Amino acid sequence: MLEKLIYFLITAVILLVIALLHVAYLTYAERKIIARMQQRLGPNRVGPRGLLQPIADMLKLLTKEDLVPYGVDKPIFYIAPFISLVCAGTGVALIPLWEKFVISNINVGLLFILALSSLSAYGVILSGWASNSRYAFLGGLRASAQVISYEIAMSLALLSVVLMAGSLNLMDIVKAQINSPYKIYLIPQIIAFYVFIISAIAECNRVPFDLPEAETELVAGYFVEYSAMRFAIFYLAEYFGMVVMSALAVTCFLGGWVGPFEVPYVPFFWFLIKLYFLLFVYIWVRATLPRYRYDQLMGLGWKVLIPVGIINLFLTALLKLIF
Amino acid sequence: MKILEKALLIEILKGLALTLRKMLFARPVTIQYYDKVRPVPAPGFRGRHALVRDENTGDTLCIACLRCVKVCPSRCINIEYETDPETKKRKIIKYEIEALRCVYCGYCEEVCPVNAIVLTEYYEYIGFKREDLFFDKERLLKNWDEFIVTQKRPYLNPFWKPRGIPEKFLPAKKRQFTGV
Repeated sequence: MLEKLIYFLITAVILLVIALLHVAYLTYAERKIIARMQQRLGPNRVGPRGLLQPIADMLKLLTKEDLVPYGVDKPIFYIAPFISLVCAGTGVALIPLWEKFVISNINVGLLFILALSSLSAYGVILSGWASNSRYAFLGGLRASAQVISYEIAMSLALLSVVLMAGSLNLMDIVKAQINSPYKIYLIPQIIAFYVFIISAIAECNRVPFDLPEAETELVAGYFVEYSAMRFAIFYLAEYFGMVVMSALAVTCFLGGWVGPFEVPYVPFFWFLIKLYFLLFVYIWVRATLPRYRYDQLMGLGWKVLIPVGIINLFLTALLKLIF
Repeated sequence: MKILEKALLIEILKGLALTLRKMLFARPVTIQYYDKVRPVPAPGFRGRHALVRDENTGDTLCIACLRCVKVCPSRCINIEYETDPETKKRKIIKYEIEALRCVYCGYCEEVCPVNAIVLTEYYEYIGFKREDLFFDKERLLKNWDEFIVTQKRPYLNPFWKPRGIPEKFLPAKKRQFTGV
């Protein structure tokens, strides 16, 4: 029992550190890639090729003053960033990185991740509400509406995967994919993947669906009033969300740790390659597309993605029934 | 057809292809000033002010005619002078330029009959206080010394012989000037 607990703790800490490093260097990669796409250089001052930039940023944010504006609802104001971070980050524990490496292999894994990503909207809404600022308030309102509508589309897309695999356990989903004729669910479930990727971008409040934090309209949206470490935590939560969503997409659609051939000594190789590619797509989309208007965003969610998701679910069920 | 195009995100894919192409093949256009690139200004660039130091006397060439003061559109030049009672020659005691007010039009160097004032091609100057950019006579002469060591002698600023004015209308000293 104790051995199990220690093993669990050690793996959890290792995974947390690795995930945090990924998040930190995701910000660096994002700045560098977007800069290259816009024919700029990107960060190149701190360390060789600017590689220490995330660490410098973190140190800067840690040493800044933690401002609390006048008239905020203090307990909620303090706790909101942590709700965001915990809800965004916990999902990492459920992702099966490898056949023999998953921290919590629970039977309702997929449902748990969906629940967490919905809960992380609470952080956004509460911070917007507690900040006593119009920008933050509008950002929070937009975030709640957006997350609720895209959550449905995303769940529908994932439900068809669950139907095909016959399990909510992420490990079982990957194993079912390996045993399926195409090895990955991307080919039979291409429509679900399409719906999932679009709603995952909206779920993470990324460009082109970054209306809750639209810089040109709302300054920074729901976290306008935050500073120093609390601000950094919101930032972390956003990138953690990206990582978890990409990892979920890899697990549910791209076949997890399985690749065309085995790479010796690096069991996570294919998982990481797929994960990095999806993260690159996030950044790529951000460098390319302008922001949607709010009614277009809602229209896309309710009039396109949800009907498409329902039809796809229905077809999947039908096919499953026939074969 | 149009619906199919929309559903397959054709336009968005075109945009994505463009950004990917830019990332892979385009060179950054950033100019890394100071570290890698130090642009050399063209002759006649109007930079930091200086008073030309006369090699023979070691003092300024200025004869206190006050033309620069009169022509200056932003009125940033201030001159005080005294008249020698015997020779009736003027001699400046104060020559001050407030560089923060200057608009760098170059009228002062065009109008100066003896080519005493110049806007040098030195442009990398800063100040931490307002006083740092308030040039008095000593500072202006020092600016000249700092500038002229970087230049080929004889140095002739294009604004000392302004274009558009026939040479015969220029004052004698300006006409004969061949550089310092």
